[in-house]
Amino acid sequence: MADLVMAYCASHAPMMAADRESAPPEKAKNFFGALETVRDRARDLDVQAVVMLSGEHFTNFFLANLPQIAIGLGEGHQGPLEKWLNIPKTIVPGDPGLGQHLLEETVAAGFQPALSHKLKADHGFMTVYYELDPTMRMPMVPIILNCTTPPLMTLRQSYDFGVALGDAIRSYPGLDRIALVGGGGLSHFVGEPRVGDIDEEFDRWFLRQLESGDFSELFDMPNDELAVAGNGTGEVRAWVAVAGAVPDRRARTLAYEAIYEWINGMGVVLFE
Amino acid sequence: MTLYQVQQCLFDYLRAMEDAPPGPKPDISTEGYELTDAERTALASGDVGAFYTMGVHPVIINGYCRAMGYKRADYRPLLAGVAAEPRRTRWQTS
Repeated sequence: MADLVMAYCASHAPMMAADRESAPPEKAKNFFGALETVRDRARDLDVQAVVMLSGEHFTNFFLANLPQIAIGLGEGHQGPLEKWLNIPKTIVPGDPGLGQHLLEETVAAGFQPALSHKLKADHGFMTVYYELDPTMRMPMVPIILNCTTPPLMTLRQSYDFGVALGDAIRSYPGLDRIALVGGGGLSHFVGEPRVGDIDEEFDRWFLRQLESGDFSELFDMPNDELAVAGNGTGEVRAWVAVAGAVPDRRARTLAYEAIYEWINGMGVVLFE
Repeated sequence: MTLYQVQQCLFDYLRAMEDAPPGPKPDISTEGYELTDAERTALASGDVGAFYTMGVHPVIINGYCRAMGYKRADYRPLLAGVAAEPRRTRWQTS
């Protein structure tokens, strides 16, 4: 059976790839330094495949057909879709066997993820994946979460899905060492008057909740309260799901920077 | 009641723009969509404030503004008068 050898979360602001130099150098150094730390750890652990969670940005789905959760079963995933992202266009290898197993096991656990053999990887996946493996050869199973179109999963539901996902990863017989990554968040505002704002107070509070291991405040928080921190901030569902997948590990914040040039609270958390 | 049609129209426009050559942006075509006169007017004029007020998804508004070349500082004037009421949250200390 596989070992879930590594779990972390990172913000995926497009500007971190599209205009990396626009951030204050010290802030960028801190953020990318944390991503280097997890990249080095993944290399040391000889990670064979990564399961990655990210929010939907109307890249793969739209309002005619929008699942809450979708698991990518493809042999490969075209990405990035955004021409302006400074990441080489490629086909990221998939892992259909792992994807199918995750689908079957999470359905058996009571969830209803959609499936797709043709998911594409936008900035939500590619910014974080490229930092994890600049060669872009590591197989990835993408999992898309609906984080912006109500009705939305609560943070409790996201955590519960993460529990099932972690169990599914650990029961996979086809690999030995798998990483789980949550991409998205922290606070940001999209397509609304507060674009450019960052709710630093929320970001630091959220990180403290993760680090404490006591998620009761997060579970108690209704979606409309979470949205006050930004209508893009709901991507932290991926972070909470990762926490659910590794309940015996504590979150450690490797970096947090409010990078206004990237209009995003930028964090990296490692579960260890 | 035709909000979905507005959003589909904008989505189709943005997808088409992905492959468009550099240069002036073409007008939004509203042909084939079931729209009210007000919606057709908003689309024809690229009225971002109207999009927001009628409930167009913010991810679509974001894509439209990016395609139009709007910058961060443009949002507030584009969306003047539609700010949400402040609300207390559990993470606020002041």
